[in-house]
Amino acid sequence: MLALQLLVTGLVTGCALGVVAISFSLVYATTKIFHVAHAGIYTLGGYLAWSLMTYRVPLALAFLLPVAACAVLGALMQSQLYARLERRRATHLVVLIASLGTLAVIQNIIAAVYTPNILQFPLNWSSRMVAFGPVRLNWTQLLTVAVSVAAYAGTMWFAHRTILGKRIRAVASNPMLADITRLQPQTVYVYVIAIASALVCLPGILVPLDLGLQPYNGVTPLLTATIAMIAGGVGSITGAFVLSVAIAVLQNLSLLVMPGEWSIGVTFFIFVIFMLFRPTGLFAAAR
Amino acid sequence: MDFLYTYIVLAEIYVLLGLSTNLLVGIVGIFSVSQAAVFGVGAYIVAHFMMAADPLSFIPSLAIAAACCIALNILVTLPSLRVSGDYFVVTSFGIQLLATAVFINWTVGTGGANGLPGIPPPDIFGLPIETNQQYVLLCTAASVLGCLAFWLIMRAPFGRLLRAIREDETAVAAAGKNVLRAKVSAAALAGAFAGTAGGLYATFLSFIDPFSFDLDASILLLTMIVVGGARTLAGSIVGPFLLLALPQVLTLVDIPTTIAAAARQLIYGLLLIAFMLFRPQGLAGERL
Repeated sequence: MLALQLLVTGLVTGCALGVVAISFSLVYATTKIFHVAHAGIYTLGGYLAWSLMTYRVPLALAFLLPVAACAVLGALMQSQLYARLERRRATHLVVLIASLGTLAVIQNIIAAVYTPNILQFPLNWSSRMVAFGPVRLNWTQLLTVAVSVAAYAGTMWFAHRTILGKRIRAVASNPMLADITRLQPQTVYVYVIAIASALVCLPGILVPLDLGLQPYNGVTPLLTATIAMIAGGVGSITGAFVLSVAIAVLQNLSLLVMPGEWSIGVTFFIFVIFMLFRPTGLFAAAR
Repeated sequence: MDFLYTYIVLAEIYVLLGLSTNLLVGIVGIFSVSQAAVFGVGAYIVAHFMMAADPLSFIPSLAIAAACCIALNILVTLPSLRVSGDYFVVTSFGIQLLATAVFINWTVGTGGANGLPGIPPPDIFGLPIETNQQYVLLCTAASVLGCLAFWLIMRAPFGRLLRAIREDETAVAAAGKNVLRAKVSAAALAGAFAGTAGGLYATFLSFIDPFSFDLDASILLLTMIVVGGARTLAGSIVGPFLLLALPQVLTLVDIPTTIAAAARQLIYGLLLIAFMLFRPQGLAGERL
């Protein structure tokens, strides 16, 4: 029964992770920036929601305002930092270092304002349990699954059915051609990072709702999500989501044989296996 | 006076680490945030062998640590460098987080979060190094040797090959050079530098804990290179001396102790962004 419970918990964690992976994949496939600061936005979303909830702002607003704030921050990051670097023809490495610097800044502003200690959300319904036969889940976990699957479906619809979505995919597949045909890649990049930041804010609020907030907790989920993205095939939204779920399930099942501290080892092991045997990922588009 | 000696010794240890980071990030252009992890592995290995029931002396322990760090770096860089530079970012974050997990949770080997106290002082062929003055001499010798090695490597054909890879990997491959082998060799060399620095660090402080080798430490190393200047010997020396002085300057400003660590890391982050935007060559380096 423990295995079943772990399997289900893995599915829940995997859904949340899947949204992180989708959002990172959007940024990486389009802008080619390895946007490490995404982990900072993930963390920031949760802290903003916590502040709003402690000031007793209505719950819906406490979810939506952080999402909007993260979108704005993401757009600013692209237009003020990455675009400037791009204009100076900065190398990939320079952009990466600047992104890492931004991550350090966001994390440590949070740590200075909210202290580095763990914070719990002041809600009483979030940890109430619901039993499904032998499996027990709390309301937060149910909400996480619902929101994450909706986010996945929404992203798929957005990417394939809307004009902006198609424009993003066009820029992702060939920035030079997109520039010539006046799709304005630089503007698209701002939209993409804003959308991705809004998306990553959802698991950024939902996961800490269950497990609590800590300022430096964003890096591990981002790393796991990145591995899922690579294993799924860069550019494939479905691949990123499915592989996130698979990795989270494997991580949770590994708890049967080893303590939880080593789960990062399991993730990394999966990454090395993929590097050795299928570096293009499972769902890689033909190139 | 002791305070000054401590500063000099630590700065010189960080010069070795700076050389290691510069080799990877500056010269070859591989982004790495796992240098602190390798540094930590070196420190723990030296501590382990010098505190074993049948203790080894300093030089053999250091040699074992350096060899292990070389092997570690070859093993972990080989799969991802085979594919793409971006995938190495994942590898390097992965190693860093994995190493921190091992340092904290493998209590038997590393003392866990409480750290590992009572590491004996080093000796050079039977001559014990105990006072701070002797330490300064030892670390100066080590860092001068490190700088000399770095300078010689950069003058050698291998150094030119590494610089060429940074400029244009395809051209180097087209010229018939083995790019992967050169990159992995550079990583191995960086491992040797970091491992040696780890051994010096462990024996000097006689106490090590996981928090000296975490992601923040790696970011500090990167900041040192970025501020000092990438790709030059001068940069690798200026950066550590400047940034290690920063915490002392911060004590003059009245910051509550609870947020002092966060404030320090915040400054490192701001320095990284500012230098990348306005002066990517650092104080004494070449353009990244």
